[in-house]
Amino acid sequence: MPGICQMRLAEERKQWRKDHPFGFFAKPTKGQDGSMNLMEWEVGIPGKSNTPWEGGLYKLTMTFPEDYPSKPPKCKFTPPLFHPNVYPSGTVCLSILDEEKSWKPAITIKQILLGIQDLLDDPNVNDPAQSDAYTMFKNDKVAYERRVRQQARENIPK
Amino acid sequence: MSSDYEYSDDDVDYYDDEEMIDGTQDDYTGDSDDDNMMDFGGDEDIKVPQKGKRKSYEVDFESLSQSAVEKLMAEEVEYICSVCGVDESVASLLLRHNKWNKERLVEKYMDNPTTVLVAAGVTVPEPSASPTQRSAPIPSTPSSRRSTRSASSRLLNTLSGVGVVGGPKPTKSPITSPTLPHHTPRSFKPKPPSSSDPFVCPICFDDTPSLRTLSLDCEHTFCSNCWTAYLVSKIRDEGEHAVRCMAEGCALVCSDPFIRTVIGPGSPAESPAQEEENKKAWSHFQELLVRHYVGCTKRLKFCPYPGCTNTVSCPAAADKSSLVTVVPTVSCGARGIGDQITNAASSGGGASGAGSSGWGLAGKEHKFCFGCNVEADHRPVVCPVARMWLKKCRDDSETANWIKSNTKECSNCQSTIEKNGGCNHMTCKKCKHEFCWVCMGPWSEHGTAWYSCNRYDEKAGVDARDAQSRSRASLERYLHYYNRWANHEQSAKLSIDLYAKTEKKMEDMQITSSLTWIEVQFMKKAVEEAERCRMTLKWTYAMAYYLAKGNEKDLFEDNQRDLERAVEDLSELLEGPIEPESIPTLRQKVTDKTVYVQKRNEIVLEDTAKGFLDGRWGWNVVVEGFDDPEGVEY
Repeated sequence: MPGICQMRLAEERKQWRKDHPFGFFAKPTKGQDGSMNLMEWEVGIPGKSNTPWEGGLYKLTMTFPEDYPSKPPKCKFTPPLFHPNVYPSGTVCLSILDEEKSWKPAITIKQILLGIQDLLDDPNVNDPAQSDAYTMFKNDKVAYERRVRQQARENIPK
Repeated sequence: MSSDYEYSDDDVDYYDDEEMIDGTQDDYTGDSDDDNMMDFGGDEDIKVPQKGKRKSYEVDFESLSQSAVEKLMAEEVEYICSVCGVDESVASLLLRHNKWNKERLVEKYMDNPTTVLVAAGVTVPEPSASPTQRSAPIPSTPSSRRSTRSASSRLLNTLSGVGVVGGPKPTKSPITSPTLPHHTPRSFKPKPPSSSDPFVCPICFDDTPSLRTLSLDCEHTFCSNCWTAYLVSKIRDEGEHAVRCMAEGCALVCSDPFIRTVIGPGSPAESPAQEEENKKAWSHFQELLVRHYVGCTKRLKFCPYPGCTNTVSCPAAADKSSLVTVVPTVSCGARGIGDQITNAASSGGGASGAGSSGWGLAGKEHKFCFGCNVEADHRPVVCPVARMWLKKCRDDSETANWIKSNTKECSNCQSTIEKNGGCNHMTCKKCKHEFCWVCMGPWSEHGTAWYSCNRYDEKAGVDARDAQSRSRASLERYLHYYNRWANHEQSAKLSIDLYAKTEKKMEDMQITSSLTWIEVQFMKKAVEEAERCRMTLKWTYAMAYYLAKGNEKDLFEDNQRDLERAVEDLSELLEGPIEPESIPTLRQKVTDKTVYVQKRNEIVLEDTAKGFLDGRWGWNVVVEGFDDPEGVEY
């Protein structure tokens, strides 16, 4: 349903420009000819304050399938993120982004981004997606936090 | 079907006819030989005496079409309707959520209907009861309207008052149930509230005033286009039959009537393409429901052949523990693959499991094992043994056997060593232990007898060699059975060629002799019988490999040998050249042999099946479902 998809994305963009949570950004990408590509967005999620993620702005690409919003968008950290629920490719593993789990067409881009922000400091150990971050998180919390803080410093927005 | 009968190209149909009779009258082949060929009347003494009775190696089963299964489902739904006092769509959702276990459902429902209804996604939970449920962007939540409705419900109190404290959530469905006809779209057309702000679909943000909107009982309202796209995508792409409301966190499941209103026949579609999509999704939805029901019902199984929609009911094999006593070979009654499926027997296949395999792949009977998916017909061996054997053949457990037979272990550090040349004075690369390859004893004992071992009977060497020869014997034993097993499998695979060759021969025979078409059918019958027996033989080798040594095994192998000899004789006759002058003798020989082979096959199958029923077979390994063998010996 490309009709529904385009309409919804255009509206999502409108809503976002009207109002969005502090520190976030989200915008459709531009094609080579300068035209706007609603099917792929560049977004940034800030780490929550008072967490090791604070200070960093983590960039993702959101790719919307043709049958969005029946199907969820794919969210991928660019570059891949050190986090137990992020695949080595950068793809986020989150129940609300899984069409067979909790994805619902009514979930908005804002809700997704806030959901991912929550996930940053509250990883789901039952669903590990990469071994590095997962094992460190399980076995050595101190080293894990140090690593996360370092990652936050690397991601300070210019 | 007999009206289809034609001389040249409809021989498959002709045989279908005959096999249908075959199913009810087990020894029809023997009879037909007598009927058609008056001159061979001497077969009576080897006829199997049971008429119309199920043989001990067959199971009772019934073939069901999709609509027949739907009827079964409707009965179960009906039952829940009457017991729980809910309407059909609710009963269906409840059953589906409870995996069609109606006894448990009724029990749970009587205990606490609200919990059951909420869990199945029929009603919305009480707001207080579920703090987890987040509110989704809903344009209007007319909670006042809902409460009005509940107040007016008369039946409610009697229904939900059972064992519930604190006033259960009023549900619309159980209330309205008994009076509603089946497919009444109830509240699926909620009226965009005629208040000041116009309705905007929260999914596509369409705000056209004429927008058609729909919602489930949760009142999460969306436009019908979004519902259509969502349902089609859920059903088509994910094969989901329990589709939940589109609102975030809402667990309400779309009822069948709701889905029907959105994508069912007569549902509005924007374009012919969309209509086609909807139609496909709707029929796929029906199929998903049937699949779910069959998947949850132990006595039912889908026919595994591609494109076939039939179901087989086999109560005898529903229980897993029965699989150690019966081999549930069943057939759904249809033939062919993909688009060329013909439903020979639409229902009531009866105990015709032994039906012929038809002529080539196109007319292949949909025969399969109800107990496992190892192979269509692995009689006489029961499922656990067949599975174990195939695993053994497939596994690289035989690699280990090879290692054992071709390598030796260093008697000091147990590293595995393959000797590929050189003298017998071995020095282990790992631990530098020096030993003799021939006697496996330490080299130091050899003194100065370099490069030859005259210390053959030393104790250390004898022990090492014993272990070696035992593993060699086990490998050889396995290969003995495996080669024969594989040989029969190969022969059965080649039967397609043999069919073609035989067909040619049959044509030749009609030309060179005075025999008519019907009179040369004995060749075809013989080929079919030989193939069937080879399948039996094949599996007898898997069985014999695991059978514990003893009297029973000897008897089993005697039967096996008799059948094998008979089959080889018959095959030789079939493969041989045909001389015009010897056709009458050949015909007599082949016919006699066919009947004899059939009889031998029957004996093997019968006796083995009876042995399983009596618990007569002992195994040399632990077999799933059987008692552990007492003493393992080969």
